[in-house]
Amino acid sequence: MVLRLPMSAKPEVQEMNALLGRVAMERDRTAFAALFSHFAPRVKAYLLRQGAPAAVAEDLAQEALLSLWRKAHLFDPAKASVATWLFTIARNLRIDAIRREKRPELDPEDFMPETGPSADQSMVIADDESRLRLALKELPADQVQVVQLSFFADKPHSQIATELGIPLGTVKSRLRLAMSRLKRALGEME
Amino acid sequence: MIHHHPGDELLLAYAAGTADEAVSLIVATHMSYCAVCRERTAKLESLGGALLQDLPPAELEAGALDNVLARLDAVKPFERPRRAASRDGTPAVLRAYIGGDLSTVRWRSMGPRLSYAPLFKRGKVSARLLRGVPGADSGVHHHCGTEFTVVLQGGYTDPTGNYGPGDLQVMEDGMSHNVVADPGEDCVNLAVTTGRLKFDSLLQKIAAPLFGF
Ligand SMILES: [Zn+2]
Repeated sequence: MVLRLPMSAKPEVQEMNALLGRVAMERDRTAFAALFSHFAPRVKAYLLRQGAPAAVAEDLAQEALLSLWRKAHLFDPAKASVATWLFTIARNLRIDAIRREKRPELDPEDFMPETGPSADQSMVIADDESRLRLALKELPADQVQVVQLSFFADKPHSQIATELGIPLGTVKSRLRLAMSRLKRALGEME
Repeated sequence: MIHHHPGDELLLAYAAGTADEAVSLIVATHMSYCAVCRERTAKLESLGGALLQDLPPAELEAGALDNVLARLDAVKPFERPRRAASRDGTPAVLRAYIGGDLSTVRWRSMGPRLSYAPLFKRGKVSARLLRGVPGADSGVHHHCGTEFTVVLQGGYTDPTGNYGPGDLQVMEDGMSHNVVADPGEDCVNLAVTTGRLKFDSLLQKIAAPLFGF
């Protein structure tokens, strides 16, 4: 299935890739500042949603972008978008700093080649973020809400149900519906 | 060939980083064997990236950028830690918890046919290795809380099917089963439990608490 991307989404991904490329290759501070201005406020918003106190969210957002500077040479645009890569960095920083746990995983923040998907699939993955953003816009608001809460609120589904004032089964069915539509947007075979 | 994969909900909790350490270890260990779930996880992480892009930005403190720019020169480029290669195919993510290969595990006996090795415990959640000789039978037991199992070596069979290396099984609260190790080599599993197990047989009822089950 071929999905046409909106003109706005894909160039943004490419623009971010290009900026990160300049950070990696040339240690370009102007490019870094542009990435910082775009992503640090979003990473902070993510951490606030996870329940981090404002000062902690601020510190970790700055740390996440500092990590981007330190790890820029490991970024592979064929495997993930900058936003996705930064999401995994921020997620792991949060687990480390707030939950004080380790995160057992195969490929820390940098998609180690020996565990990554094969090369022909990775081109598809690089476009996933754009496709998903488009698909999210098409979802009913109540489904988007449950997807966001599942990702960003560090709470079990039962608690999400209580807070939304809906039955647990409804949370799960909304999530299931949303996930199947998002998978379809990625052209995944069920 | 992997036959039993984590469901969407479990994989999403791993990708979102809301799963706790022990459950994450279960998923990561499964993914060491399973390219399908590595790809599913990559897609879920892309969903995290898409959601991050669409979040309304929060306001940073004044001087945040200058503060970070001033630190750039002082930090060193990240170097990936080198992990020693496994000699017996133990997943690297698990080696970090064992402190070496599966072949170096010091097993504690639970009778002639079963043994175990604790990895860690956080609150009510325990991660441990379990080992049974071929034909070893766990006896019927009931799950209070959820149990996650990934087979590392050999295999086992329970009423729901057959499980081999890499296969992941989730037993929900209140479910019961008995597990029999398959013929061939010893069956070794990584098991994470979020509650206690209750056994039917009197002997195991007495023994289980001694082993911390
Ligand atoms: Zn799998």
